[in-house]
Amino acid sequence: MTDRRPDDLTPEDRDLLARAAAAAPTPPEPAWGEYRTEVRARLDARRTLGARLRAWWARPAPIALSAALATALLLFALVPVARRPVPIELAALDEAVLGARLGLLEHYRVVERLDLLEELDVIRQLDSVASRNG
Amino acid sequence: MTDEREATSDETLCRRIAARDDAAFDLLVARYQSRAYRLAWSFLRNGEDARDVSQDAFIRVWESAHRFRGDARFSTWFYRILVNLCLDHKRRGRWWTQLVARGDDPEAESTLVERQPAPGPDPGDRVSEAQTMARLWDAVHRLAPQQRAAVILHAQQQLSTAEIAEVLRVAEPTVRVHLHRAVITLRRELQP
Repeated sequence: MTDRRPDDLTPEDRDLLARAAAAAPTPPEPAWGEYRTEVRARLDARRTLGARLRAWWARPAPIALSAALATALLLFALVPVARRPVPIELAALDEAVLGARLGLLEHYRVVERLDLLEELDVIRQLDSVASRNG
Repeated sequence: MTDEREATSDETLCRRIAARDDAAFDLLVARYQSRAYRLAWSFLRNGEDARDVSQDAFIRVWESAHRFRGDARFSTWFYRILVNLCLDHKRRGRWWTQLVARGDDPEAESTLVERQPAPGPDPGDRVSEAQTMARLWDAVHRLAPQQRAAVILHAQQQLSTAEIAEVLRVAEPTVRVHLHRAVITLRRELQP
């Protein structure tokens, strides 16, 4: 289409490509009148299909059906993740962990005082200091 | 004269098609039918497929004419549609459908050598040249799709590398690489 073709090809390369183009055999020519009639028929068929689809969408029943489907999809998408059923394996694991801690919960008063053990060294030294002074 | 040419330029026709002008569509089909069919045939090498795909390209033009912004030439835009359809068609094609299609196409049945004109004064040279051309054409067909597209658009449709880049939606240097690699492959194929 343009005279300048900055394609980095050498004259030999261009010659080879020209030969490749020339090597293409002449395709069987269609009857062009018939060809155009076919194009027109395909276009008309496409238009008819489009018109049918538009008419179908204009009916109340399909609209109601589509709205219901869209609502269902929307609801499904908006359901919070927490409400969805927990997979069985995960639920069983949670129960096992809780079960293992039940013994501790029964002796909650003891558990509550366990933090006193952290101060045991200080308490012990306080006793010895008191006895030495005494 | 200029106004008249402007009124029937490809770009103007496309804008009229976008406004649903049947006459403009018919005019554009008549203008591009031969080029479209030949280009599709070069890709697909089957008369029926080329007819089907090139007609489909015109339908796509009707459907998406409103998207043609006029940044590029209409021909570039149209070739892009057509080449994409050809590549899609090749990708979709199963080997058995191709076999059946070949069987239906009498043109594909005869080899290229058989379709060459009758030999002249030196039959040996003529046959040898015809065989070389047949090998060359077959080699073009075996190229990678993008390389084949670049070669056909460059050598047959005389498009510049910039125009090919627009058609294939790649950078211009990529087109040069495709052409360069295609040349290397074709040379290798032609070696005895």
